[in-house]
Amino acid sequence: MLGFLEKVTDYTKEAFDAAKYLIEGLSVTFDHMRRRPVTVQYPYEKLIPSERYRGRIHYEFDKCIACEVCVRVCPINLPVVDWVMNKETKKKELRNYSIDFGACIFCGNCVEYCPTNCLSMTEEYELAAFDRHSLNYDNVALGRLPTSVTSDPSVRPLKELAYLPKGVMDPHELPANKKRAGKLPSQIIKEIQKENTQDELNNNSEDIFPNKINSNN
Amino acid sequence: MNSGIDLEMSFTQGVQNLGLSHELAHLLWIPLPMLLVLVSAVIGVLVTVWLERKISAAAQQRIGPEYAGALGILQPMADGLKLLVKEDIIPARADNVLFTVGPILVLVPVILSWLIVPFGQNLLISNVGIGIFLWIALSSIQPIGLLMSGYSSNNKYSLLGGLRAAAQSISYEIPLALAVLAIVMMSNSLSTVDIVEQQNTAGFLSWNIWRQPVGFIIFWICALAECERLPFDLPEAEEELVAGYQTEYAGMKFALFYLAGYINLVLSALLVSVLYLGGWGFPISIDWFSSLIGLSIDNPLVQIFAASLGIVMTILKAYLLVFLAILLRWTTPRVRIDQLLDLGWKFLLPISLVNLLVTASLKLAFPMTFGG
Amino acid sequence: MNIAYSTELICFLILSAVIVSGSLAVVLLENIVYSAFLLGGVFMAVAGLYLLLNASFVAAAQILVYVGAVNVLILFAIMLVNNREKLKPIEGLKTRKLISGGVCTGLLILLLRVSIITKWNIPGPTSIGEEATERIGEHLFTDYLLPFEVASILLLMAMIGAIVLARREVSIPTDYINDLKTKKSLDDKKIPLLSGNSLK
Repeated sequence: MLGFLEKVTDYTKEAFDAAKYLIEGLSVTFDHMRRRPVTVQYPYEKLIPSERYRGRIHYEFDKCIACEVCVRVCPINLPVVDWVMNKETKKKELRNYSIDFGACIFCGNCVEYCPTNCLSMTEEYELAAFDRHSLNYDNVALGRLPTSVTSDPSVRPLKELAYLPKGVMDPHELPANKKRAGKLPSQIIKEIQKENTQDELNNNSEDIFPNKINSNN
Repeated sequence: MNSGIDLEMSFTQGVQNLGLSHELAHLLWIPLPMLLVLVSAVIGVLVTVWLERKISAAAQQRIGPEYAGALGILQPMADGLKLLVKEDIIPARADNVLFTVGPILVLVPVILSWLIVPFGQNLLISNVGIGIFLWIALSSIQPIGLLMSGYSSNNKYSLLGGLRAAAQSISYEIPLALAVLAIVMMSNSLSTVDIVEQQNTAGFLSWNIWRQPVGFIIFWICALAECERLPFDLPEAEEELVAGYQTEYAGMKFALFYLAGYINLVLSALLVSVLYLGGWGFPISIDWFSSLIGLSIDNPLVQIFAASLGIVMTILKAYLLVFLAILLRWTTPRVRIDQLLDLGWKFLLPISLVNLLVTASLKLAFPMTFGG
Repeated sequence: MNIAYSTELICFLILSAVIVSGSLAVVLLENIVYSAFLLGGVFMAVAGLYLLLNASFVAAAQILVYVGAVNVLILFAIMLVNNREKLKPIEGLKTRKLISGGVCTGLLILLLRVSIITKWNIPGPTSIGEEATERIGEHLFTDYLLPFEVASILLLMAMIGAIVLARREVSIPTDYINDLKTKKSLDDKKIPLLSGNSLK
């Protein structure tokens, strides 16, 4: 008898708990209703890609030495480097270079390892095509520069959340002359340099000789 | 008893004054409320679709439809128009006749159920004696239409969706009917008008929700299950069944399913407001209000005001419930089929039986408050 | 002949035509799914007849019970079983059909005779309309109490029987079960193939 009663109380408790959690969930959903939409009206508004954004790869034909490092570091050996050996000059002569963006995963290894910096990442991400073969870019297509979102007159560029000032959630109502939260990378570099020089100065005042040796080196 | 505005009487009298017989006048009257119901049901659906899209967008921090009309208010019309002119495809190996009859069988009972929704004392299509029982009976026809369309599509997803929908409708019909039965027991009548009248004696304090809180919750859960709204939308669970019994449908036939689903939602919300939230009743008694201004209740101005207030109140309550349904849609995850049947048979059915029993005993113990 | 009477007559004729042709189709159609759906149509037409007789409660109950429960159950059974296999031709099908047809016509003639011979009390008793619900309740709990209870006990028995049939224990030799319990299915994870709970 007691066991049965216990079961019943447990069951009721569970039912009440379920109701409680349901109401909690409903309140969360209800709370979301008063938040502003985060919608970016895409073809008319676009987010500015962040620095170090890994978009379509840009390639400079003239810089390339056809070393094929990009092919070796690529996870699927994607770049096609078409070269011939010039017997007279004993140098590689590059004829064609292509990357198939239908298969590329934009990992950026090729850009990282390119010895002559002829590969670089752009901020272009609109790669939709009617035919997947048209995603296979040759060296001419790879050499084109993307149109920047900020320079396109038909597009309203919007800043991403990380680039908004502190407390601002909506890029549409960005207050003028307000800097983003945190420091810029260039500022951080400057600060580090300053600290270093400060340290050096401190070291100089304490002990002159070792520093002199250092500077000689 | 027959206070309030009687449109039928005035219409038939007006036509009779033109020199037609009483029967002919009555015959002329019959199609008018039907047309009105169709129009109001469709407008209700359009508003609900727009609300659903806008509120869903707000809950997900989106904007939602915005270009079709101001605030996207014409978006449901655009959707409907698209479905109207879309090609009507019948799959090659589907069963032509059943494939066409299925959606009709789903939609017609739902629209017929609007017969019994009262917006005021005399503002309903027919005050049939069986009232709310008619709705329960009619909603039991729907699973046949679902099974029909599921079977005739000649598609395993459709068949599974149809079977699931039918199983769900049958198992949630029982607690629904039991919850309604408790209400009927308190008001001593099946008629929706009597049920509302019984609740409007002392403003919002006499609403049934205070006397039947458990019944209200059971009814709402079952109504959501009958409408296949989100916590119970597994007949059309897109991750498993593509779109359930609607998978093979396109164009106007799909629109019939769509329409039936939303009409059912609005109807359920209206019935909840009728059964539990005092229907057309204003939270404060109108009699008291009119005596405050110093006008008699029989004053035509007061009558017209009361009637329009009744319509507004009914619709307002119903749409608050629709809002709750939309909120629930984005809060609760979909239940599995075994959880659904567990909830129906092992939780709601015993609880609704206990609720009925308690109501009966309370009615015997306190005949004043629980309807003698 | 006034309008109300003529509409009633037209409705009656349509409903009877639907009932007769529908029930004939239920029996004669080859496709069992069509038969099941038409059966639902016949039930609904019968509900329409009740409506014509001013018995709206009975009509609604007819739809709820016969269309909503019985017919849906039949459809369920058919759809879960139907796998479109060719049925074996039954021996002596023609003679069987002839015999059953003869029995049916005999019954029909008997019923027609009864309906013609009986002195019908026309017009019948006036319908009580809205009061019907209360009257049915009174009858069910006074003079029809015993049949009502017997019917409910019969239904209860049928339900229990159905459950017993559906949950028929599958006889597995105990040695086999014990073997499964001790057997390790995945050597590295050491999970027995069957837990204690799964066989009860």
